[in-house]
Amino acid sequence: MPISKAPHEPIAIAFSGSGGSGAVTAGSILLAAAARAGHYGLMMRSAGPQIRGGESAALVRFGPRPIGCIGDRFDLLVGLDWGNHGRFRDEIPLGADSLILADPAAGPVPEPIVAEGVEIRQVPFLDLAGSVADGHMNMVGVGAAGALAGLPLDALVAAAGTALAGKGEAVVSAAQACIRLGHQIQDDAPPSRVGHGCGRWDLSGNEAAGLGALRGGVRFVAAYPITPASEMLEWLAPRLERLGGALLQAEDELASINMIIGSSFGGVPSLTATSGPGLSLMMEGVGLAIASETPVVVVNVQRGGPSTGIPTKSEQADLDLALYGCHGDAPHLVLAALGIADCVLTTAWAVRLAEHLQTAAIVLSDQAIGQSRAIIDPSPPFESPLRRIIPNGPEPDYQRYALTASGISPMRIPGCPGPSYTADGLEHDAAATPSSLAADHHCQLAKRHDKLARFDYGAHWAEIDGGGPGDAGSDAVGPSLCLICWGSAHGAVGEAAERLRDRGLAVKVVALRLIAPLQRDALRAAIGAALPLVIEQNASGQLFGWLRAEGALDGDAQSIARPGPLPLRPGEIVADVLAKTQL
Amino acid sequence: MADTATPPAGRAEPPPTLKAKDYKSKVKPIWCPGCGHFGVLSALTKALAYLQIGKEAHAIISGIGCSSRLPAYIDSFGFHGLHGRALPVATGLKAARPDLTVLVVGGDGDGFSIGGNHFLHACRRNMDMTYIVMDNEVYGMTKGQASPTTQPTWSHSKLTPHGTGVRRFQPAAIALAAGASFIARGFSGDPNRLTQLLVQAIGHPGFAFVHVLSPCQTFRPEQKAWKQQVHPCQLEPTTDAAHAAALIQRDDGMATGLLYAERLPVNQPRNEPDTTIAEIEAELLP
Amino acid sequence: MTNAHDPIDTIAELLAHALELEHESAARYEQLADSMEVHHNVTTAEQFRHLATLSHEHAATVEERAVGIELPRIPPWEYKWSCPGSPETDCLDHEPHYLMTRVEALHLALHNERRGYDFYAQVASGSNSPEVRALAARMAAEEADHIAMLRGWLADAEDLPPRQNDLDPPNVPA
Repeated sequence: MPISKAPHEPIAIAFSGSGGSGAVTAGSILLAAAARAGHYGLMMRSAGPQIRGGESAALVRFGPRPIGCIGDRFDLLVGLDWGNHGRFRDEIPLGADSLILADPAAGPVPEPIVAEGVEIRQVPFLDLAGSVADGHMNMVGVGAAGALAGLPLDALVAAAGTALAGKGEAVVSAAQACIRLGHQIQDDAPPSRVGHGCGRWDLSGNEAAGLGALRGGVRFVAAYPITPASEMLEWLAPRLERLGGALLQAEDELASINMIIGSSFGGVPSLTATSGPGLSLMMEGVGLAIASETPVVVVNVQRGGPSTGIPTKSEQADLDLALYGCHGDAPHLVLAALGIADCVLTTAWAVRLAEHLQTAAIVLSDQAIGQSRAIIDPSPPFESPLRRIIPNGPEPDYQRYALTASGISPMRIPGCPGPSYTADGLEHDAAATPSSLAADHHCQLAKRHDKLARFDYGAHWAEIDGGGPGDAGSDAVGPSLCLICWGSAHGAVGEAAERLRDRGLAVKVVALRLIAPLQRDALRAAIGAALPLVIEQNASGQLFGWLRAEGALDGDAQSIARPGPLPLRPGEIVADVLAKTQL
Repeated sequence: MADTATPPAGRAEPPPTLKAKDYKSKVKPIWCPGCGHFGVLSALTKALAYLQIGKEAHAIISGIGCSSRLPAYIDSFGFHGLHGRALPVATGLKAARPDLTVLVVGGDGDGFSIGGNHFLHACRRNMDMTYIVMDNEVYGMTKGQASPTTQPTWSHSKLTPHGTGVRRFQPAAIALAAGASFIARGFSGDPNRLTQLLVQAIGHPGFAFVHVLSPCQTFRPEQKAWKQQVHPCQLEPTTDAAHAAALIQRDDGMATGLLYAERLPVNQPRNEPDTTIAEIEAELLP
Repeated sequence: MTNAHDPIDTIAELLAHALELEHESAARYEQLADSMEVHHNVTTAEQFRHLATLSHEHAATVEERAVGIELPRIPPWEYKWSCPGSPETDCLDHEPHYLMTRVEALHLALHNERRGYDFYAQVASGSNSPEVRALAARMAAEEADHIAMLRGWLADAEDLPPRQNDLDPPNVPA
């Protein structure tokens, strides 16, 4: 029988296999078909350590509303084979409502799956594929999964045509034939689930961040490859060229950060992208950007830490590094994207802020965002008056680090006739002359602090959902809750909040986009009288610690912190919230 | 580079009367009297004057150390960056601003120890810039430790009281092996010859490495003897890398002059915009 | 490469060398004066500043001689000096030192002036042009006057204290 879900509920489907079974291609095509059918969607991937031929899984969730996380459980698992499937046990959670499609030729379904009480349906993927010249099992799986999920056949066939176009006509026809075979699995075809919407974007978080960088005005990138950030750089490289900019592959992260300081000094908005180990290397350079007041943006696509950690999995454990990683008092900007779509806005905003405030902005993304693909509404155009302040004409008394009311001092660019200056990491006076005097140090420290503290960041500092304590009306049960989160936790927290509201609780979600400087008063106002719970994917409660240190939370606030590598799930958040609040 | 912050491209035409002294800033050098770096500063200002490179047409990038203080002593745009990281800053600047003449200065510790990796890759990358290393075979600013070019037996540093015991870093040999397209050696005590080498280096299209022997009077007083020990390189400068390698390997480290120069492809991004962000976004539709 | 012993056969070339010699001399004394100031050696700084002023005056004299004459623009490395730098700057056996005394500064200047004298004397005998020889001889005589003046100052400064010792170890500026 088909997957039975209410029309507004998303459906989650996993493909798994090994040794070139094509699970990831299957997932990508299913996602694209869902997009053609008008749905929103999300796809994550998981793999063994082998470069090729290892075990791999594609995790897809789609539905009529934007998909913020991968959910609690999979409705359907298409097991192309069971090679080392134990690796995916935690990542493909199943339950009694789950349906497994298994090929009898692949051997018995692993015991841990059976033990979940799932429904198992035998589908002879291998045989069916064998009946088509050059047929592949995974395409049969696409057809079968698509049918069970109510996706129209023509959407599946068209998606395969586009995805495999580069492999030639024969491959495309064989794939489409297999899809048709698989689609016939369902005798009584369910009504097609067609969403409403077309003209949506299909992109990964890394690509979205790249787009945000371009929208913000970045035209120079220097970077060193690192998992899971490399795809952002690979996406940017040709596009920067086409816009008249450039990407330079550096010899290491130390070179990367210093190169973008040089290009920014030369007047070009500049950015680099890395992960935790690279950001650790870059911190001295970040400090130089802060001290010399040279705008730079560093995107950190976080992965499991510490040290080499778990490069292919996600975690939100670099916040402490981003906040505290510079020696000396070095105030700067720390932002975090709230999901794949939000990478566009957050990165563009970070670039403009860094340029205007002449400082370093660290933008936190993570592997779950960066390497997952989503079907999203196109981002609205980014309009912002923020720019680098450059003096117009030659001024005889120009002082690079002059003390101004805003704390921002105009920045002359090399090549302009007139006064020049030597930028310096050494502490300096207003004229940029190195100085060890107390007065100069205090003034410049205050300047670098005040320019950030005095700035009006507007409404982008957070996404707030759920209104005030009165929203649940007289049916509200218990105290109102304020769920505070950052980064990729936002999707799961949002779903959890809905379920808590369904139980009658008054729940507000505050997802911080600007973490430093903390907008403490605005955050306190948003929390109001509600009980704050800070939810994040790391072991030590890093955001919780920061908010406490900044005086944004009172004694009743609680931390719900769990490390990676597994994504936060709405169900576990609901359970944790209820347990912590004893509701 | 397409950006509204970039001033008009092309080398600015200064009035034709810029003299060497016009390039000096008002800041008085903190170098010890007798420091070799004075000679390099003098030679650099003479070279800039000889080439009539306007103050706004060039930028000087440095790292950390006594010699890295130089940018503040010249009246132009400069960046006094991190220890060992001058070359990447210069690389980023030049990549973004091909219109500027980019000069990089630093010492032997800054360039060959912590900066060693960047030195290798800058030689390879062959972007059009000039790198002047003032080599006094010591870390002056931190009170006299051995540097990579210090003799292994020099035992006057408390950090390495028996000497380092490690063979010297060979700047010219390594520059050649790393692919530098211009290698010269000068002596701060002969600033006029050094001026000529700097003029050639700045004019060379590509990465020009100028290794300058620049004695430290305070921590290496015995380097006074360099004046008698330096000698012009006996052989003609060569464009043959293998020949240059043999020459440099036989070199006693005190031979001055142009050791190697070859025209190699210069690395410089130069892209003209041919699309818009809207077109890029259109490609995101499935 | 110019042979240092190539003769100077025109007035213009001689004056160009003379001007460069004085300008370089002045620049070197200014540099030493600045250096002494930064290192708080006030009396020696003043001595060098005074010497710089004198070099500026000598340069003015040469400029007067050069009125109406178009001087060749000589690249720095093609000057016909026999030492690496111009005679009054870089042929030093006397190394500057932050504790150097006025007396030592004067010795340094004396050494410079002698080299200047040697340069003009060599042109006065080696040039193929009688005019140049004559002018060089006059300029050598002027250098001789400078030398005598310096000797006089040295005589007056004989009983000044010798170089002091610095009781502090080297500093670590940055």
